[in-house]
Amino acid sequence: MVLELKNITKNFGGISALTDVSFQINEGEIFGLIGPNGAGKTTLFNVITNMFPPTSGEIRFLGEKISGLKPHKITDKGICRTFQNIRLFSQMSVLENVLVGGHCRSKSGVINSVLRTKSQRKEETNSLEAALELLELVGLSKFQDSIAENLAYGQQRRLEIARALASNPKLLLLDEPAAGMNETETESLFDLIKKVQKRGVTVLLIEHDMPFVMKLCDRITVLNFGKKLAEGTPAEIQNNQEVIEAYLGAEEDDEIA
Amino acid sequence: MLGDIINPYHLQIISFILINIILGISIYITLSSGQLSLGNAGFMGIGAYTSALLTINFDLPIFLGIILGAVVAGVFGILIGIPALRLSGVYLAIATLGFGEVIRVIFVNWESITQGSIGLSGIPHLGRELFKTFKLTGFDPDMLGLKNNQFIYLLVVLILLLVNILLVWFFIRQNKSRVGRAFAAIKMDEKAAESMGINITYYKVLSFTQGAILAGFAGALYAHVMAYISPADFAYHRAIDILIFSIFGGSELIWGAIFGATFMTILPEALRFISDYRYMIYGVILIAMMAFRPQGIIDVSLLKWFKKKLKLKRGGSLGIGTKKYN
Ligand SMILES: Nc1ncnc2c1ncn2[C@@H]1O[C@H](COP(=O)(O)OP(=O)(O)OP(=O)(O)O)[C@@H](O)[C@H]1O
Ligand SMILES: [Mg+2]
Repeated sequence: MVLELKNITKNFGGISALTDVSFQINEGEIFGLIGPNGAGKTTLFNVITNMFPPTSGEIRFLGEKISGLKPHKITDKGICRTFQNIRLFSQMSVLENVLVGGHCRSKSGVINSVLRTKSQRKEETNSLEAALELLELVGLSKFQDSIAENLAYGQQRRLEIARALASNPKLLLLDEPAAGMNETETESLFDLIKKVQKRGVTVLLIEHDMPFVMKLCDRITVLNFGKKLAEGTPAEIQNNQEVIEAYLGAEEDDEIA
Repeated sequence: MLGDIINPYHLQIISFILINIILGISIYITLSSGQLSLGNAGFMGIGAYTSALLTINFDLPIFLGIILGAVVAGVFGILIGIPALRLSGVYLAIATLGFGEVIRVIFVNWESITQGSIGLSGIPHLGRELFKTFKLTGFDPDMLGLKNNQFIYLLVVLILLLVNILLVWFFIRQNKSRVGRAFAAIKMDEKAAESMGINITYYKVLSFTQGAILAGFAGALYAHVMAYISPADFAYHRAIDILIFSIFGGSELIWGAIFGATFMTILPEALRFISDYRYMIYGVILIAMMAFRPQGIIDVSLLKWFKKKLKLKRGGSLGIGTKKYN
């Protein structure tokens, strides 16, 4: 088991964004997290990475309790994420973004960096090679020197994935990676996530594109108003009456709005 | 012949420029991790008073005094930098400005040690002390065709120049490394930086402290170049001056701080002949700057343009050595 959430509750003042959510993710899975807008999916990512602590509940990663650790420590343990509203280092080059992603896998400090010691130079070369390989993986090699904010939207999403992968995570959290992508882009994203899985990375993915999720994920959890509504294989989820109602309800709301 | 061209007044201005460049770098470093600190005049004062008092009262060699001045300022940097982590933007600026004022008031009121607002005089002069050592070895500036006075000021300039080169080298290398990338990441998006595994507490305190050390170092040098300091030297207008070095020159690059410090030190001197209007002109230049080039004179694209020109002049593809990922 890679990740285990036990009775996670998160309140913002009076709002209960998550109520008693529990589930487990197995090694090597692509695990989907779906639910209508405002269901608490992003909040769950923020709680896992401890951007803010859960009100109650416990999170275990590879058997070890990680709730309460600082976000950078959690990245160090092997969980890294992307953001729903892209948060690249917008003025840096594409390559530099990925190099920053490798921060916790290197250790040269001020003195080594200034003296450019042998170990520092070796580390830089390794980081550079790793970063170039990741850019190749996400198909951004020829943009390595472009400034991140000048990339097209879909490319920025891919760059976020490369940046997160640079930290060599065992668990990758993707928050709506297909948002704003066209059909071809979504298809190549599909292939990319499959490739990431083949590298031995477990994936937890939030996504609104249902055909995409159903095709890609091994198992899915559905959140609705902060509560877990259902869990199962794509086929089970598609035939779950409660899920259908939750989504139909949401769609009807949309039509009225 | 050398004696005819060397003008102590010019040398004095050059040493001010070189000290101001260190101050400019000090604020550039804190800004490079996204922290706007106006406490650098305070740290400068701490460095200046520490070194001045140690050398006057305990006959400490100047170079030791200067190092201790920088160290003490650095300790204060850590002490202020940690609580300052809770603040950002203008709040941090105001809190650090307040810190600077507190330090100044302490210098004014702790009369038994600091002589209050009268200030400390008789601080050993960097050039003169070195000159004494040179004399002991039997050296006479006459051998270079220089008067003693010229030689002393020349020594100061040379030492400061060496220090400047070392510092620029240090911070350029730091900037092109994992540490520099962490600073830049924090500046651009603190939350994202944290999510990418960067210990933002550590790097923010590091950059704040480096700024404090540099400001303290510059302050100590200032004390031994002026041979006289008073609390007024480290008042809030100094904090603003230091900020302007980097903002005017451009805060994205170390070259911005260097250019800003140089330009802003020369400008009032160059405008001396219209002394009544010089601060007005100074003000107009700043306003024009903020309106037309808010990122400062020197920015990344200007630097790129420069590099391109240089490459063209050298006849094309000589830029092999410039590693792209830097
Ligand atoms: N930092 C915060 N402070 C207060 N309320 C918050 C905060 N973050 C999220 N919320 C609230 O928690 C609820 C869940 O939000 P969340 O962003 O997790 O939804 P989501 O499932 O990711 O939705 P979407 O599909 O639109 O991204 C919402 O009501 C939101 O307003
Ligand atoms: Mg969301």
